[in-house]
Amino acid sequence: MLVRLFPSDFRTNYGGEMENVFRQQHSEIEEEGSLMKLLQLWGETIAGIFATAPRQHWDILKRDVAYTLRMMRKNAGFTVLAVVTLALGIGANTAIFSVVQSVLLRPLPYAEGQQLVVLTQQAKKSGLEDIKFSVHEIEDYRQQSRTLAAVAEHHAMSFILYGHGDPDRVRSAVVSANYFDLFAVTPLLGRTFVPGDDAPGAPPVLILSNQYWKTKFGADPGIVGKVFEMNDKPHTVVGVLPSLPQYPSESDVYMPTSACPFRSSESFISNRDARMMTVFARLHSGFTASQAAADVATISSRLRAAYPRSYPETMGYAAETSPLQEELTRHARPTLLVLLAAAGFVLLIACANVANLMLARMSRRERELAVRTALGAGRGRLLRQLLTESFVLALMAGTLGLLFAFNSLHLLTDFAARLTPRAHEIKIDGPVLGFALLAAFVTSIVFGTLSALAARANLSSSLKEGTPGAGTTRQAGTVRNVLIVGQVAFSFMLLAGAGLMLRSLLQILQVDPGFAPQHVLAMRTTFNSSGPRREFVAVINKTLAQVQAQPGVQSAAFSSIYPLEPEVVAQGAQGMAAEFQVEGRELAAGEAPPAGSFTVVSPDYFRTLGIPLKEGRMFTERDGAWWQVSSSPEGALAKGFSAVAMINQAMKHRLFPNESALNKRISLDGGDSWLVIVGVVGDVKEFGLDQPAAPEVFYPQTEGPNPTTLIVRTASDPSAVADAIVRAVHEIAPQTAVSHVLTLEHARAESVASPRVTAGLLSLFAGLALFIAGAGIGGTMALTVTQRTKEIGVRLALGAPPGNILRMVLKQAMALAGLGVVLGLLWGLALTRLIKSLLFQVKPGDPATFFAVAAVLLITAAIASYLPARRAAEVDPLSAVRSE
Amino acid sequence: MVKAKEPGSYLPLTEATFHILVALADGEKHGYAILKEVVRRTGGKVRPSAGTLYGNLARLEESGLISESALRPDISLDDERRRYYRITDLGRAVAVAEAERMEEAVMQARAKKLFRKPRLT
Repeated sequence: MLVRLFPSDFRTNYGGEMENVFRQQHSEIEEEGSLMKLLQLWGETIAGIFATAPRQHWDILKRDVAYTLRMMRKNAGFTVLAVVTLALGIGANTAIFSVVQSVLLRPLPYAEGQQLVVLTQQAKKSGLEDIKFSVHEIEDYRQQSRTLAAVAEHHAMSFILYGHGDPDRVRSAVVSANYFDLFAVTPLLGRTFVPGDDAPGAPPVLILSNQYWKTKFGADPGIVGKVFEMNDKPHTVVGVLPSLPQYPSESDVYMPTSACPFRSSESFISNRDARMMTVFARLHSGFTASQAAADVATISSRLRAAYPRSYPETMGYAAETSPLQEELTRHARPTLLVLLAAAGFVLLIACANVANLMLARMSRRERELAVRTALGAGRGRLLRQLLTESFVLALMAGTLGLLFAFNSLHLLTDFAARLTPRAHEIKIDGPVLGFALLAAFVTSIVFGTLSALAARANLSSSLKEGTPGAGTTRQAGTVRNVLIVGQVAFSFMLLAGAGLMLRSLLQILQVDPGFAPQHVLAMRTTFNSSGPRREFVAVINKTLAQVQAQPGVQSAAFSSIYPLEPEVVAQGAQGMAAEFQVEGRELAAGEAPPAGSFTVVSPDYFRTLGIPLKEGRMFTERDGAWWQVSSSPEGALAKGFSAVAMINQAMKHRLFPNESALNKRISLDGGDSWLVIVGVVGDVKEFGLDQPAAPEVFYPQTEGPNPTTLIVRTASDPSAVADAIVRAVHEIAPQTAVSHVLTLEHARAESVASPRVTAGLLSLFAGLALFIAGAGIGGTMALTVTQRTKEIGVRLALGAPPGNILRMVLKQAMALAGLGVVLGLLWGLALTRLIKSLLFQVKPGDPATFFAVAAVLLITAAIASYLPARRAAEVDPLSAVRSE
Repeated sequence: MVKAKEPGSYLPLTEATFHILVALADGEKHGYAILKEVVRRTGGKVRPSAGTLYGNLARLEESGLISESALRPDISLDDERRRYYRITDLGRAVAVAEAERMEEAVMQARAKKLFRKPRLT
């Protein structure tokens, strides 16, 4: 019979009756001999069971839930503790999982995003991982590849946009016309680029990003067709993008390659070595990313054979492809997985703790459960009640945890933005909700079963013994001890991980940046200059004089970048590196040419940043200013004028380890022109405090590209004079766009934000774990003392000194904690290896950290068990013995 | 114990529930007898299956409208498994309240001349 579908209670109560009734109906109809009626009876009965059974289950569930809620209200303390403990665990997991889901798991928000790949070119022997592509190269890959259906290019530039209020510095993405087709983006307004938009001489057009359109133009629906001036040319807006995450970087406007003055110049296009562009491609359907990688590698070797001058053997050129999604999340993956594991540990500890709490409560509820058993409740029925209780608890915790996760989302988005461009996609979506629910469900099963199983063991014995509270069997005690040891061990691992990250962070913070960031302000200043260099230099010199005249300003300088500038740190030393040659040095076969980052600086740059001079002299106003000597550069050279450069110590050690660097000459253009080294300055952590000082070359503002950053050292708080400085700049050059105003201390703090937040989150998790484990130890010991009150009373009555009792309880707690520490130590040694890539100058098995963690845990255990131990020692032997 | 509530708070009853209460109004019965009476009384229009019958009985017992009878008539005739149910005072009050509710509803419908007056033949 289908009676099995009913809840067991109902079955025992009514199962036999129902069978009876059915049999009678059956036999009656059999007498009538109507087969139809018989079948009808069967049908109706079966349908009836299916209709009734769920209702019965639902009724029981309602009753159990109502009972559970009543119990919870009665034990508010226990309920709050358990719900909050679990909620923290579930919340931490849900929050981290929302990041993992949004960044690592969810497909890219483009049609067939898995078909998108990014191409990278490396010069492996020079240690350059990403040297970008030149126009010729892009054309070659486009034409020769079998696997790539479409190839698009992208590079980022800043331009000034006129015609809408103040001149606005806009982040511009310069892309090929097929860029948006490749990503399958449909515009919100107007159109995207069409073939021909990027043809040489085509009228310049613009597409606005959704964000820029909203913030700058108030989402003006009539924006398409408006004309703005950029790079001295009118640009027509043809479209607005939908709100989409932008890869590889956030841009305000998009323009076709023909509109970028650099990208469209004859010399740039014809130069195979002018590599500036990032290349994206969409695979032909049916090809995999690895097939594309092989295809691209083949083309690369073909190009190396065809153009040996552009791909010197000594550089080790190569090209690769990788799936776009992988590329965008490469830096985030290890950190996120570590955090997810840490959050998982917290939840496990929370589970163990709540199971312990429930066990403790169970020992007090033994009599209740025993009475219910005696009244005829089956074991299954009781188990069901207990599981319902734990599920209700977990559901409440899950809801609260989701709330925690929801509130921490902003923080996590900011954090993840340092690791991946996908951070803005982070949200709590269906899968995340599902995850939270699953976490709550699994959690309830884990701790519910743990406590229910232990309770099962007790039930039969407790009534017989008739001593509630004292009747906890050895089995339940063992379960509790195992749970405590587990909590301590997992806490150890979390603490060790957090400890290592913190030590690593401290190490980074102690790194001498090589400059004095205090009281220094930096801002990006883009002059509208298309005139000759000497005019530009005159303007910036006048600007510097005006800025220096402001009260509170000590010194000021212009440069192309400044140390720890956020964008520069993001790009890394390699993104800034250029190759050059040293006069009189031939490269040996297979030797890579020297490379370094080149920075344009005005004379006071080093003084303003507090970078010490080690050898030779600083730049002066006359350096590079050939027009002060002759009417042409050639004339100046003929009169003995020389272009100059300075290098840092890292460069000196690489190039001239055993001789003076002064008066040596280097060339960036294959020997057409030379720079004389006039000075050596101290090393600066230009690209990140955790990076080794990169070899650097500096040249005066009169050479190279325009400096774009104004750096000002002030006597006191630099933010206070920021406005005055901006006004001073505008007094001299009103058309200058000023942006990214930042103190260098802020920039420095920003550069370590990622390890700081990782360390912070891990510490938070570890702190939670420590708190939970401490509470667990204290609670368990308190329970043990309560249960052993009688025994302790007898001991005291027999003359045991209270000190012994105190020691006895402490010893028991410390034995458990000690075992947990040993286990945690062993697992921790194995597991912390996995976070090696996140550590800076700290070994995964750092003895000091592990020792400190062990000490912290043992001290916590001692403190947590001291109160119960003292209570044990203060037991009044008479009342204890009498109480039973 | 279930708190005694106003009979009105149980209304309206489902058709099967009402007929079970009516079937028990004139004395204690066991499950099968209730079933047969309900079928007979309604001319087969209400025909609960074994499952629904005991589902309803369980819920009625739960809410205190019926109770299991301790008395078993004539042990020799009695199947030991057979449980007898009787209507409680509350159950009776609820059944009456339901009947009054329905009567009231019928009156309302008549007042609107929704259906013919019964012929006095």
